Amino acid sequence: MPEEMTSQDLKERLALIETMIAEGRKQTQSWGWTFLLWGIAYYVAIFWAAWGQPLTIVGQNYIAWPITMITAIAVTVAIAVRRTPQPGTKIGRALGSLWSCMGISLFLLSAALGSSGRIEAHTFVAIVAAFLGFANGASGTILRWKAQIASAVVWWITSVLACFVSLSQLTTVFLAAIFLCQIVFGIYAMTLDARRSRPTGEVHA
Amino acid sequence: MPELPELNPVIHGKLRLALLSLLAGVEEAEFTWLRAQTGSTDGNLGAQLLKLEEVGYVVADKKFVQRKPQTTYRLTETGRSALTDYVRALKQLLGASINA
Repeated sequence: MPEEMTSQDLKERLALIETMIAEGRKQTQSWGWTFLLWGIAYYVAIFWAAWGQPLTIVGQNYIAWPITMITAIAVTVAIAVRRTPQPGTKIGRALGSLWSCMGISLFLLSAALGSSGRIEAHTFVAIVAAFLGFANGASGTILRWKAQIASAVVWWITSVLACFVSLSQLTTVFLAAIFLCQIVFGIYAMTLDARRSRPTGEVHA
Repeated sequence: MPELPELNPVIHGKLRLALLSLLAGVEEAEFTWLRAQTGSTDGNLGAQLLKLEEVGYVVADKKFVQRKPQTTYRLTETGRSALTDYVRALKQLLGASINA
């Protein structure tokens, strides 16, 4: 062993390696805000679509959903681009591809159903909830995050219930699921993000 | 008595060791992220990364994103292997110091 290296020096270097590898692998990307943003977007679309009429999911104002969704996509992309870049990790790429592919599928399907006039509130909610249950479930499993898996379970229950309940019950169920899985979960995730983003110690040459 | 290993002097510097370890945990990372994680200055970080690049332990990819320069670093196979050897040597030395 080199004379200048003590056992303590060696341990410190091993600890530094472990800390830095863990720091790199830590899921540093903060996406809690997207849940909140999309929760608000769903509420805006639902209330705008039913403006001046009894509250239903699809409503009579057919431009409400497409315009709100396109605006939400634009806002999400604009905020994401401006945020501090994070390192590329396999988990990050897996989650990014999962959510973007889910979003594209859901958008295309909803747009096609809407433009063909074959959209119906129960089917629409069942599809949206199933897609969101799938994405949250997969994401929660990858991250081993029980709160997100719980969120997926709520969406799956919503998807099943949507096939059986009345139109007024459907609205209540969907609004409640959005509140729990988007608004509450989004705020919870943002709180965790804020706690996690503490700066690390300095390392000198 | 087995001969004790030499520690790789390129990796031995604390900042270079931290950089290689950080890059071992990600696919690639930007200069700004590495700076934030290490708390290092631009000049020092740039110099240490250049040294690692010269010996082939990291590769840099320079591009423009929204008209701003962006440099991304990635650990090479040589770098990963050097880091693994360094950790192995450290553990061996530590074992020797415990048994001394």
